[in-house]
Amino acid sequence: MEAAATKKIIKLVVNGKEHSLEISTNETLAEVLREKLNLTGAKIGCNRGECGACTVLIDGKAILSCLTLAIECGGKEVLTIEGLENPETGELDPIQEAFIENFGIQCGFCTPGMVMSAKALLDKNPNPSEEEIKEGIQGNLCRCTGYTQIIESILAAADKMRRL
Amino acid sequence: MAKEGAKVLGKSVPIMEARDKVTGRSQYVDDMKAELCVKMLGSPHAHAIIKSIDVSRAKKLKGVEAILTYKEVPRKLIPFRSQRACYAMDKHLRHVGDYVAAVAATSEAIAEEALDLIDVEYKVLPAVFDPEEAAKPTAPKIYPEGNINLTPREAPTLHDWGDIDKGFSEADVVVEDYFDVTPQLHAAIEPQVCLAQWQGDKLIINAATQTPWELRDMVAYVLGIPEGRVVVLTPNVGGGFGGKYVGRYPIITCLLSRMAGGKSTKLTFTREEAQCYTRRPRGKLYARVGAKKDGTITTLQYRAYFDIGAYGSYQGSLRLGAGKLSYKIENARFEAWHVHTNLFPCDSMRSVLLPFNSYAMESIIDEVTEKLGLDPAEVRLKNMPESGDMMPPKPYNHEFTGFKRARFDIYPGKQMLRQVMEKIGWKEKWKGAGKPTAIDGTKRRGIGLAYAGTHCGFLTLATTNIQVVINTDGSAVILSGAQEIGQGINTTLRMMAAESLGISLEDVAIVTSDTRTSQYEPTSARASHQLASDGHLLLKAIEEAKQKVREIVAPLLGATPGEIEIKRKKAYVKGNPEGAKPLRELLSSSVTASAVGPPGSTYPEVKPGFIAHQPLALAAEVEVDIETGVVTPIKLVIGLFPGRMINPGVVRGQAIGGVIQSLGMAIWEEFKYDEGASAYPSRDFTDYRIPRTLDIPKVEAVLLEEVDENSLPHEGLPYGARGIGEMTAWGASVAIANAIYNATGVRVKKSPATAEVVLEALKKESVK
Repeated sequence: MEAAATKKIIKLVVNGKEHSLEISTNETLAEVLREKLNLTGAKIGCNRGECGACTVLIDGKAILSCLTLAIECGGKEVLTIEGLENPETGELDPIQEAFIENFGIQCGFCTPGMVMSAKALLDKNPNPSEEEIKEGIQGNLCRCTGYTQIIESILAAADKMRRL
Repeated sequence: MAKEGAKVLGKSVPIMEARDKVTGRSQYVDDMKAELCVKMLGSPHAHAIIKSIDVSRAKKLKGVEAILTYKEVPRKLIPFRSQRACYAMDKHLRHVGDYVAAVAATSEAIAEEALDLIDVEYKVLPAVFDPEEAAKPTAPKIYPEGNINLTPREAPTLHDWGDIDKGFSEADVVVEDYFDVTPQLHAAIEPQVCLAQWQGDKLIINAATQTPWELRDMVAYVLGIPEGRVVVLTPNVGGGFGGKYVGRYPIITCLLSRMAGGKSTKLTFTREEAQCYTRRPRGKLYARVGAKKDGTITTLQYRAYFDIGAYGSYQGSLRLGAGKLSYKIENARFEAWHVHTNLFPCDSMRSVLLPFNSYAMESIIDEVTEKLGLDPAEVRLKNMPESGDMMPPKPYNHEFTGFKRARFDIYPGKQMLRQVMEKIGWKEKWKGAGKPTAIDGTKRRGIGLAYAGTHCGFLTLATTNIQVVINTDGSAVILSGAQEIGQGINTTLRMMAAESLGISLEDVAIVTSDTRTSQYEPTSARASHQLASDGHLLLKAIEEAKQKVREIVAPLLGATPGEIEIKRKKAYVKGNPEGAKPLRELLSSSVTASAVGPPGSTYPEVKPGFIAHQPLALAAEVEVDIETGVVTPIKLVIGLFPGRMINPGVVRGQAIGGVIQSLGMAIWEEFKYDEGASAYPSRDFTDYRIPRTLDIPKVEAVLLEEVDENSLPHEGLPYGARGIGEMTAWGASVAIANAIYNATGVRVKKSPATAEVVLEALKKESVK
């Protein structure tokens, strides 16, 4: 219940921008991102850590923002799907480009979470095998694509990034 | 196969929404803010009457702005055309979770707290959950007039031809069996969501729906306001698969907004609510087949009990579903009972009843084949129709324009099955029925086939419109009621228009998903018909617009309209392309034309007497651990007939996505209702396991293209293209059941083939 939660002020760096936010101690990172910062890219598919649609990166690691309390993120760096595009040039991240080109997107609801999991994977392992990709995104559910074109997108992104 | 000279068709083009979707810029309904949050109180009982309901304590809670119970809901039945329509809320509750009350409050927490303060007294009634039991006259009555949802009531849907007794007497072998296919949930990752707000006297609804027009009409009817004052917007839809048509929850959201003085209200289902909202039916299937020694099927008898849950939907009117015309059989009897139970209602899901019909038929054909000592592929090929074949009567009812007997136009079934077999390695691997292709300790491998024939798209009862604008600069705008839900229809329609006008894709804009500006199409994203119906009407409208342009420019070019060609934003007199003039110089205003159909249009019947039927084929390779019962898919090959691929990348995406959805139904996706606890354990993604990356096998798609070049653009099949979206999700259950038999010699007769189900079957019969 809302009344039981106390308010706290935290500093949060989101997509390179620092925010000072008053939050309730029971608010999740997903709620803060979506409702306070209007960053609605991270989606709520289950709100219980089962579908991965809310995946964002904290200090480079993929986490489920629906299961993470915002209070725990004080002073940390959060990267969301909105932070991948170059705000000045509009240039997309190679992973985003690869998802577009390889039909890794259908309804698009799982896409932001899927792309963020792929980013965490490729930052750590720039040359993953198909099996490693499947493991890297195993927490992200997609009901439309059957995953094949998503896996192909991530393989293509890795290839793009190696060429950069 | 790219069309000769085609500039746009046949090239893989990313869907136009892709960039916004991949940057997080795309807005889905739950991304939008509302003043009030809506929460619903669900029935704790499977069958009950509300004896009394008191909301006075809840009303006093600060932040509660409106409470809705059956008392405030207009007594208007929805959905239209349903054979068992219902009220948005009723005092008679027919399933666990049925709507008792709804609250709109300033926060989610307050709304939830208010639900706890609603005092309800129930009179609990006996309940029934098995469709065969529910069909008996002695069963608890969910409706006073009985539980069978058909017209006429208390009778099955029947489609029969020939003489089945004669068929059985001619048979050398007869096989009879029973199968149980349990429900699959739609389980889109985006839960159902609706946001209602008022702008003056206009009601603006943002909803994740596959059918915005149908929703508009229904809301207007229940709220008693003119349809034109209800606007439905669908910014993006996060997956549908049949689970996001019309529903009672948008009406409840709108009624609460009105009660709260026009404040905006938003209802977003929790995952639990989404998993207990719609599903496929359960099918209890009885099948009997007779065949001659040479493999000729002489007769087929099929009886199905479909559990459609507590309320009517379109399922009830779909009668027998597809697959009856899969084989050329002289004598057949198909019988289906659609029966209400006290489970939450079902709605159409991709391929609707085909997964059930084919589970029984393709299982029993493998069984009869083994008895005859024949190859299952050969028996299928022997009985399969070909292009031009005359088929038994199709069961058109009075609502459809039909033909007594139908002739298949292009039907490359044999070619498809052979290609699918080749890709699974049938010739090298198949060692005979019940003989594993490989053994490794407790693990046994096997292969299985499935085939079906289904119609392409469907005849809609209601009028569908499309409008095309040719602008003064030669670019174009399409206004359509087609609904984009991730399947790429917006891009596909633009590609067809670009091809037809000889302009680039960038020069074609499209307006959909907004009932103020797009065109009326009540069926929208349903039954994979949009490609055929909207595409067909689009080409008709373009032809009409071109004719208008011809009439305007002909005098300016010193010719008659019949002599004018319009291409690449220019007009010229036939035979003189050098004299072409830009439309910009010839047109002083844009030109608009529209096409409407049906009536007056005959899709998907391409010409009188012919029906656009398409073959489907599937091959599966599995590994079964006979100690644990665990089934691991190794490879799937799906065969489809898109006719002509407008956007091959999208077609392949549909094919693979659909077959993996079907794989979930085959092995892992287990719908569960716990009668003792009055709860659905399948209410989350942990207990209801949809396929994940690590589950998926290698998948290949055989996508056949064949077009009647003499009649392009095809009447009803634009450029020869056929919808395949839903036809991808039909057959993994039975292909895998047949592969499990091949691996173990034991037939699994219940779907999904979970480890538990397989182990039980293995225990019953000793593994050969």
